[in-house]
Order: sequence, then C-alpha cells, then structure tokens
Amino acid sequence: MSQENTSKQYVVDTRPLALVLLSRLNRPLRLLLGVGLFVLVYNMETPEGLSEEGRKAMAVFALCLTWWVLNVLPLMITSLMAIALIPLTGIMPAEQAYSLFGNSAVFFIMGAFILAACLMKSGLSTRLGLLFLQRFGHSPRSLLCAVFLMNAFMAFWMSEHAVAAMNFPIVMEIVMVLKLRPRRSSYAKALFLALAWGSTIGGVATLLGGGRAPLALGILEQYEGTNPFTFLDWTLRALPVVVVMLGVGWLVITRFFPIDQDSVADAETALAEKVAKLGPMSRDEKAIGVVMLGTVATWVLAGHNLGLANVAIGAIVLLFVFKLVKWRDVEEYVNWGIILMYGGAICLGAALNDSGAATWMAQRTLGLMADSPASAVAALSASSWLLTEAISNSAVVALMMPMGLGMADTIGLVPATIAPLIAIPAGLAFAFPIGTPANAIAYSSGFLRLRDIILPGAIMGATGWVVFNLTVRFYWTWAGYIHL
Amino acid sequence: MNASSAHLKLELAMRGLRLEQGLEAAELAAAGTEPGGDNLVELLLPGDLVASCQVDKGGAGGSRHRLTVENDHFLLRTGDDSTPVPVSVVGRPEFYAKTTSAGTKMNRLGLLHGDFLAIDPAGACAFAGESKPCVLCPARRNRGATRRKPWPLKEVLEVIRAAFDEGAVEFIYFRTGHYQDDDGGFALLEPYVKAVKEHFDTLVAIQVSPPSESGWVDRAYAAGVDAVNYPLFTFDEKSLARACADRRKQVTREHTLAALERAARVFPRGTVWSDLMVGLEEPTSTIEGIDQLVSLGVLPILSLHRPSDMASLAAHPLTDPDDVVPVYAHLYKAAREARLNLQWLRDLGQAVTPLEARFFAGDDAKLDVAVSSFYRSRLGGRAARSLSRFRRRLRVKQVSDSFDSSQL
Repeated sequence: MSQENTSKQYVVDTRPLALVLLSRLNRPLRLLLGVGLFVLVYNMETPEGLSEEGRKAMAVFALCLTWWVLNVLPLMITSLMAIALIPLTGIMPAEQAYSLFGNSAVFFIMGAFILAACLMKSGLSTRLGLLFLQRFGHSPRSLLCAVFLMNAFMAFWMSEHAVAAMNFPIVMEIVMVLKLRPRRSSYAKALFLALAWGSTIGGVATLLGGGRAPLALGILEQYEGTNPFTFLDWTLRALPVVVVMLGVGWLVITRFFPIDQDSVADAETALAEKVAKLGPMSRDEKAIGVVMLGTVATWVLAGHNLGLANVAIGAIVLLFVFKLVKWRDVEEYVNWGIILMYGGAICLGAALNDSGAATWMAQRTLGLMADSPASAVAALSASSWLLTEAISNSAVVALMMPMGLGMADTIGLVPATIAPLIAIPAGLAFAFPIGTPANAIAYSSGFLRLRDIILPGAIMGATGWVVFNLTVRFYWTWAGYIHL
Repeated sequence: MNASSAHLKLELAMRGLRLEQGLEAAELAAAGTEPGGDNLVELLLPGDLVASCQVDKGGAGGSRHRLTVENDHFLLRTGDDSTPVPVSVVGRPEFYAKTTSAGTKMNRLGLLHGDFLAIDPAGACAFAGESKPCVLCPARRNRGATRRKPWPLKEVLEVIRAAFDEGAVEFIYFRTGHYQDDDGGFALLEPYVKAVKEHFDTLVAIQVSPPSESGWVDRAYAAGVDAVNYPLFTFDEKSLARACADRRKQVTREHTLAALERAARVFPRGTVWSDLMVGLEEPTSTIEGIDQLVSLGVLPILSLHRPSDMASLAAHPLTDPDDVVPVYAHLYKAAREARLNLQWLRDLGQAVTPLEARFFAGDDAKLDVAVSSFYRSRLGGRAARSLSRFRRRLRVKQVSDSFDSSQL
C-alpha cells in the first residue's frame, strides 16, 4: 500500500499532551462561547433604539458569527441553524424565513457551480490550462507568468477555489519533473504562490469567481428589493483592481522568490506529453465550450433583463438537453454545502435588516469609525480585508453586508454601493492558508513554509486595500459609480 | 538476593539449565518448543525476574545450574555445594492443550512468555526474509521465504480468549518477523490488532520490521498498538553482517534508527524499544548502540546471544556474563539519564530490561519499582489501559476530519 493510502488516513498529534488536551477542549469552549453570547444577548434588556425582534436577531447573529469565525461547525450547518432559529425566536414567520432561501442569488451561484462542474468534468478547463502553459511556458520566467495569468483568467469564469484545486496537480507535476526541493526551491515557491494568488486575484474580477459577489448581491436584493448590478457593471468596478494587483503580485512573487531555475525543458516535455495524452478535443468539450461562451455573452449583454440566475439555469438545461453532462457528475463536482451556506446567510441578513438590528449595530461599530462616505469606504474595505485573512470570505460578506447596509443611509452612501465595497476586498486574502482555500491548497504542497506566505501575503493584502481605495477614490468617482 | 538473581538470569541465559532426573522439559516448557529448536523453560527468580533457560540440549547439558524438586518446590542449585535458590517454573497453561474451532492446537498459535501472549500470525523469521538463513538461526532454514498462510483471525481470537479466561495473560505481543514491504509487516497485523482492541481490554505490543514509510507508524498507533519494537540486533553493522548477511543487506542501521525515532515521537515515552544482542559484537559497540537509542527516546533491551548447537554459529565463543555486566549497568544509567519510562517493559525472559539492569548498577530505583508494582496490580493495569485509550483518543486524528474541517 502506498503512502497515499497510509499516512494520509491518520495523523498522530505529537505535541505535548497538555497542549493536545487544551486544543481538544478548544472546540467545546468555542461552542459554549457562541451559545453563551446567544443567551446573553437574547436575555438582555432591549437597548434604546432597538426593537425586540432586533435584539433577538442580534442574538442569532452573535451565535452564527461566533461559530462562523471560530469554525465550530461547518459553515453551511451554522447557516441552516440560522434559518431555523429566526422563526423559532419569533423574529419572522417560518414561511417568510424559509422563502428567503429562494433568492435568485442562490440559484445564480448554483448555476455557476454546475457550469464550472461541466467544464471540469469534460476536461475542457484542464485542456485550456495545459495549452496555455504549453504555448507560453518556454522559460522559467514565462512559465511562472503563464501559471499566474492562467489561474487569474480561469478564475474570471470559475470559482477561484475550483481553479486552484484543478490546476494544483499540473503545478505539482511541473515542480516534480524539475526536481525542485520542497521548502528550498525559490522557483517552486513562486510557482505555488502564482497558483494561489493568481486564482485569488482573478476571482474578484467577475460574479463567477466565487460566491462573495452573488452573496452580497443576494443580501442587497433582500434589502433593496432589486439588484441594480449587471454582470458587466460588477466587472467594470473590479477589473482595475485586478489588473493592478496582477502587476503587484508579479513584482512581489519575483522579488521575494527570485527565479533560481535555468531551464524548464523537462516541464515543457511533461506538459507536451499531457497535452498529447488528452488527444483531440471531443465533441462534448466543443459543445460545452460553445454553451459557456454563449452563457457569458448573455450574462454580459442581457443579464440584467433576463436575470443572471435565469441565464445560468437556461444554460444548464441546454447542457442536459444535449446530454453533455450527467446529473451524477453535477452531484460529484458541485459544493452543495456552500449553496446552503449562502441561503442561510441571506436569510440572516434579511432578518437583521428588517428588524433594524443591522442599522443599530452599524451605528455603534462602523459608524463610530466613519463619519463621511470616504471614511466609510476605508472602514468597510479595511474591515473586510482584515477579516477575510482570518475567516471564510463568504462569512465576511455575510457578517459585513447587513452592517454596511445598515449604515449606508446615515453615512450618505447609496446602499447598492455597499456590495462591491465589501465583496471585492473580501476576496483579497493573501497572507494565511486559512484565509482562502486557494492559499490552503498551495500551502498543502509542502513546498512553502508559513513564513513564505505571511510577509509577502501581508504586503499583498495591504497593497490590495490601498489599490482598492485609490480605485474607488479616483476611478469609481470618475465613472460615477460612487459619490464621495 | 535480587542482585544475585540478575546475575543468575544472565548465567541461565548463557549456560542453560539441567533438569533433575524425573523432570521433563516438554512438560515444563511454558514457552513451548519449536519444531527443530531448543527446549525452553521459564523460571521466576527471586525479585520477580523471569529467566528463559535452554534445557539439557547442547551447551546446557553441561550447565552447572540444576533444577530440582523438593517437597513440591522447585529449587535451583548451582554446582554441588551452593545454597539452593527457590524458584518457580512459569507453568504450562491449560489452553496449550486445547484446540481452536478449526482443530489447531492452541500453542501453535500463541505462546506464553511471562504475562504476555506472543503470537506470530505468519511465522516468518525475524532476521531476514531472503535467500539463506542466518548463521545464528537454530532452525537452520529460512522461514521468511517460506512464510505460511497467516492464522485465521477467528482462531487467533479464540486463543486469546482462552488465555484470558485462564487468567494467564496481561498483554498481547504480535510479531511478523522480517518483511521487506513498505509497511514492515504491520499491514498483516493490523486486522489482528484492531480485533483484539475491539474484543479485549488489553495492551498490545508489536515487533515488525522498520517500515520504509513513516505513515505506518502513525497508523499502527491509531489501530491500537501500545508499544512497538524494531530490532537492531547489533549496533555494529559488520557484526550483523557476520551473523546474518541478509539482514545487513535488507535493513540498514540508519533506516531502523530513523523508524525508531519516528515511533518514539508517536508512542508514549518508554514504549518503543529495540533489541540489541550482547555477545555478538564488542561491548563498546553495544554501549554505543545504547547511547544512540536512548538519545532517540528508545529503550534498548539487551539479550544475550545464546549459541545453539543447532545453529551454524554454534562454535561462537561463549560470552562470560561477568564481562558484560558493565554493559548492563550502562543500560540502566543511560535509560535513567534520558528520563525514559522504565515501567512498561517487563517479564522478558530472554532479555534484560533497563529496569532489571538496575541491579548491575547498584541502584534500588525504589520509585520505579514501586510504580512498576502498581502497574502490575489489577488497579494499575486498568489505569494503564485507560490512560492508553485516553491518550490515543486525544492524539489520533483522521485526515478526512481535518480536510472536512477546512471546508475546502
């Protein structure tokens, strides 16, 4: 039996026993902390300016926030619990709470996941990635650049997590055939960071790069009753940040990890063999490619009129009509748990908004830091960025959106502006493996030490925040997206 | 008395034992006899030291130690004029005479040594697995190459049940002999270990070859193994090559030490050990091996090479026990200085544990002995087993759990 099947099954924690014991007690303590906060807020006297429903919504929010941030339960289970607690505590009727799960954003996310699943299952995404690397990766520098840009570009159209996971074996094979040494080779570190950061940066460009943007739009839609963003609207706001951060990312990677490799001839050969093994493009791959291109074009050109979720579902129906995908494949490739998480987060956001709790909390937290639209932009984006380094970026959106919307009116911002102000910085997690699965996947290679990620990642995150604020200050105001 | 018992144990290990007329080795042999091998009798010496003795055959035929019976009590006489030492013979357990549901005699599956039941499911040689037998092998044949089909799990469990029902056993000791596979032979033992842990409240030790993939150490601990032994045999590789050329070729010292080091990080302190055979190499080399092992957190166990007239190495000069006393004294001191837990290993008839070696260092080690006595008690045994379970529950994580919690 190989090591794959042995050491990966069990790990023995060899830290001192007292430390192990403490870490095992950690979870019950985290569980109790959430429950304690819930009980405390639920039973406290209703503060002035807050309704009874608002206090109860805050209690549910405190519980969910604690468990989301401290990772006590899977995110999606905490979200489901939120949906159940909202009617149980009398914040809103059960019919209303559960109907919020039917938000179009949830179905858009589901559609995007299914389309990405088709791309992966058919092998089309892998083929495109390999061809891109084969075409441009002739020298160590160009191969590194190709990995970086390829991941970024693919994350425009698929979840950044899926892109990182999908391309991880390709990068791993490259470092293996080049015989790069784990934790020693600067070039290997650069390649894995290019994989992670390329996916992360690309993921903020469109509504398809992850669940953050659709989730923010879903919560916004519950608050406003409408979603003012088209597919193109969002991309136009995010693209300048993406372009600049790709440049910054390249500089940081190559400065921190100078290329110490003379040739990538072996990698070229390996890539050529992989491409040859794929054979000619199949009919299904071509058809799926056409459907994907058509879907993206429809999102861009007519998404606002037809509805982003409707277009996604239409594309899925087409794929099944032409037997390009089987339901079993969809079940295998789609992360259904995340969809549940989004549904619960949208429901909780609505409960906080409708009960007035979001406004009340925002005035007493973010409102204290922000007394003008410009300072609100800085505070919201800084909070999102800092939180996303430590917790799931979807949890950041679920946490920040209700509060951002709550303070929008008082601070003089159009509520619709809050969604990109929170969702874009929430995607800029670079410094820790826990910040985003893309970082975790790169770190899991064993080629990076933690310190290889932290300092350059912190520089990337801070620069990302500055770049985002400069973009808002100059480009968004110039384009009329915001008035500061 | 205890100090002389320790010397006596060495003497008996080296020179064997004669039986008074009327005593039959086969009837006394708790450890049983192996086909073509030597008769072994286990004696309980004063101070609760277990000594495994070769009886009558070969060099033992001329031994100055003689076992007699007077008034239904066993006495050990040395020479003609010495004061007899009262001893007990580790009795032949009743389950030896029973058969499994498949009709196999139970002592073919498991043999009692002290208070542990040794089970060798596949009957392979511990030294080497290829080509020719080692020159010290009394069986003079290579059992590794002719490994039999492993005993069925059901039958092994029946034997263990019978031994426990009789109250003859405290621990289970599984051995696989030499395996060249990545797992060192643990893959074969794993179902047995898991089943024993499922059906019995006991501690399990294993002797396997050092695995070439470190993940197997974690897996063994997770499966329920409480103690592990990767034998070195000799620290000096040239001596090992002379005694067993195949072993030297197949398992390097560095590989064994690396596996021991990993195991010492995974298992509780004092539950990872390695055998060194005194008498096959220079004492200085054995001492060097002791120091190397304790520096890794591994307990060395010293057994004396006992030349068998059945082995090719029968002509190897007999070691004088007095010459190796400093080695045993060093064993105790080194293990103490390394703060290794000395209580877990006990009742090894064919080897001297670091705690037993205290006699050669002239130390009472009262605290260690008291703790050891506690663990021998019913309450102590239960505490040891509970601690072992608790520690395992804390330390072992399934990777799928970690992956799930990462929510990738």
